[in-house]
Amino acid sequence: MEIDLDFGPLIASWRFLLGGLGLTLALSALTVLCSLVLGGAVGLARCYGPRWLRWPLVFYIDSMRAIPVLVVLVWGYFALPLVSGVTLPPFWAALAALSVHIAAYVAEIVRAGIESVRPGQTRAALALGMSRAEAVCQVVLPQALVRMLPAFGSILSITIKDTAIASVIAVPEYLNCSQTLAGQSFRPIEVWFVAMAVYFVILFPVTRAVDIAYARLASLGRS
Amino acid sequence: MTAPSVPVLAYENVRKRFGSFTALNGVSLEVAHGEVVCLIGPSGSGKSTLLRCTNGLETIDGGRILLDGAPLPPDAAGMRRVRRRMGMVFQNFELFPHRTAIANVMSGPLTVLRMPRSEAEHRAETLLDKVGLADKAKSYPADLSGGQQQRVAIARALATEPEVMLFDEPTSALDPETIGEVLGVMKQLADEGMTMVVVTHEMTFARRVANRVAVLERGALVELGPPAQIFEQPQVARTRDFLSHLGWSG
Amino acid sequence: MTLDWAIVWENAGALARGAEITVLLAVATMLLAIPGGVLLALMRLSPVRPLALASAGFTEFFRNLPLLLVIYAAYYILPLTTGISFSPFATALVALALNVSAYNGETFRAGIQSIRKGQSEAALALGMSRAQVMREVVLPQAARRIAPVLASTWVSLFKDTSLVSVIAVGELAYTAMRIRSQSFRVLEMLTAMAAIYWALGYPQAKLTDWLYRRFGVRE
Repeated sequence: MEIDLDFGPLIASWRFLLGGLGLTLALSALTVLCSLVLGGAVGLARCYGPRWLRWPLVFYIDSMRAIPVLVVLVWGYFALPLVSGVTLPPFWAALAALSVHIAAYVAEIVRAGIESVRPGQTRAALALGMSRAEAVCQVVLPQALVRMLPAFGSILSITIKDTAIASVIAVPEYLNCSQTLAGQSFRPIEVWFVAMAVYFVILFPVTRAVDIAYARLASLGRS
Repeated sequence: MTAPSVPVLAYENVRKRFGSFTALNGVSLEVAHGEVVCLIGPSGSGKSTLLRCTNGLETIDGGRILLDGAPLPPDAAGMRRVRRRMGMVFQNFELFPHRTAIANVMSGPLTVLRMPRSEAEHRAETLLDKVGLADKAKSYPADLSGGQQQRVAIARALATEPEVMLFDEPTSALDPETIGEVLGVMKQLADEGMTMVVVTHEMTFARRVANRVAVLERGALVELGPPAQIFEQPQVARTRDFLSHLGWSG
Repeated sequence: MTLDWAIVWENAGALARGAEITVLLAVATMLLAIPGGVLLALMRLSPVRPLALASAGFTEFFRNLPLLLVIYAAYYILPLTTGISFSPFATALVALALNVSAYNGETFRAGIQSIRKGQSEAALALGMSRAQVMREVVLPQAARRIAPVLASTWVSLFKDTSLVSVIAVGELAYTAMRIRSQSFRVLEMLTAMAAIYWALGYPQAKLTDWLYRRFGVRE
C-alpha cells in the first residue's frame, strides 16, 4: 500500500506552527503557576482553615474530580459570560478554566503532603514554644514540600496535555494549528506525525524527571 | 531411606560469584543425618549465600552440592522436587499476608504435594499445635507478633516433611522477648532428630544446640568443629578475632 | 436573560442515550485495556529484551501524548493506513484503548514489582513452580495494590470519553452540545451537561477513595 509523504506544506508553515507551540507553552506555564497558587491556597485552607470552610472546599475539589476538563472549558467559555456578563478571549478563558480544574488536584497533593508529615513534628515544634503559624511554616511545610515535588511534576505533565483540549474553544495552540494545517494542506498523516513528535519531545523529559523524582523519594524511605 | 553413613547434605568446593565479588570461595562441608550445624561469621562472609545455594535460590558457579549423595539437578522441575525435601525459614518470616496462619502452613501440601484438602488441613493443625499456635490457626499474619509469625513459618516449612531444615538468621528480625519462643521450637526440632543448618548470630543457641559449628569469613570456611572447641578453644586466630569482636568471653 | 430549563427535560431521552454511549464506550475500552495492560506488563517484565523494550516504548509513547491528539491522529491516520473506514465509535475505541492500555501496563507492572522478592523466594523454597508462585502468592497480593489504582484510571477514562465528542461520537458531551447548538439554550444545556457528569462522576470518585482506604498499602 502506497503512502507518499510530503512534508512540504508543514515546512512552509513552520512559523504558524511555531506560534501555536509558543502558545501551548505559554498557556501551560501560566496555568501551572495559577493552579499552584490557587491549589496551594485551597489545600492550606483545607488543612488549617476554619471548619466551616472545609465542606465548600471539599465540594469544589470533588466536583473537579467528577467533571471532565472539556466540560469545564466549554462552560467557562460559553456559559460563564451569560452568567457574569464578562466575556473573556479564548486564551484567558482557557487559562481560567484550566487553572480552576487543575488547582483541585494541586489542593489534594498539598493536603496529602501535609498529612504525610508525622503529627509528632508539629507537637515538637509547639513544645519548643513556636506559634501554630511558625510550626507550619518552619517545620511542616518544608518537609511536606519535598514529598510533593514529584506530584507537582506530574501536574506539569497533565497541564501540557490538557492545553491541547483548549483547541476546542478556539485557542490557537499547537493542536489547533495542526488541525487547521491538516485541513488546509490535505496532508493529515505528516501533520499528525509531526504533532505527535513535538508533544512527545516536550513531555518525555518532564515525565522522565517525575519518574526519577518519585524513585529518589521512595529511596529516602518513609518517616 | 538412606544409609546413615551418607551425609544428608554435602558441599564440595562450592564457589559463588556476584559479578566481581566472590561470595563463596571453595567451601566444603558435610552435614550428617540428624546433625545440627550452625554457620557463624561476620556479615558478608557467605553464610546466607551458602544456605540459599543449598535449595537453589542462588546457582553456584563451581563445585557441587549433594542431597543424600545425589547432586542438585540443573533443571527447574528437578530442583522443585528437591525443594520439597528441604524446608527453609527466612529472616523476615515471609508468611503470605493474604492467607491465614493455617492456610500458610497448608501451602506446601496443597499446592506442591497436591494433597487432598482435609489431609493437608489435618497436617497443618498438628504442626501449628506442635509450635504452640493451635489457637491462632485462623489469624492473619498481620495480627501475629514476630515470634508467632516465625513459628508459623517453621510449621509451614515442616509441612512438606523435609529431610533437612535450613534457617537463615531466623531470629535476627525479632524483638528480644520473642526470640526465646522461636529458639525453643528450634531446639525441640533438634532434639527430635531433624537435620538442621542454621545461619545465626545467637551464639548461646549455637553453643547449646549445635553438634558442630562452622565459622565462615570472606567466603571461606575458617574453622569447623564442635561448639566446645569453637567457643572455648578456637584453633584458628580469625575465629578468636570474630568471637572477641562479638564480645564473646567464652 | 430568561432561562428555560424545560429544554433539559424535553431532551432527557437524548441525554440519557448519550450517557449510555459514554458508559458503553468506557466499559468497552476497559474490556480491551485490561488485557492490553496485562500483556504490556508481562512483556515489560519478561527477560526477553526486545519484548521489554517494545512494551516500554509503547507505554512511554502514549503516556507522553495528549489524548485528544491521539483521537485526531487515529481519526485521520487509521483509514488512510489500513484502507478500512472506521466508524467514529470504533476510532474512539481504538484511541482510548491504546491510551488506557499504556497506563494499565504501568499500573500492573508496578503492582507486581511492589511485592517483596522474599515472598516469591518463600514460595519457591516450598517447591512451587514459577507459575504457581505467580498465581498463589504474587498476583493475589498485587491485585490488592492494583485495585484502587485501576479504579482511579476508570474514573479518568470516564471523563476522557467526553473528548471523543470532537469526532462526532454520540456520547453525552456531543449530545448535550448538539442540543445546545440547535436550541440556542447555551447556559441551560451546558450546566445540565456539567451536572450530569457530576452526578455520574461523584459517586465513582468516592468509591475510588473507599478502595484506596480499604486496600491501601500497609507494610
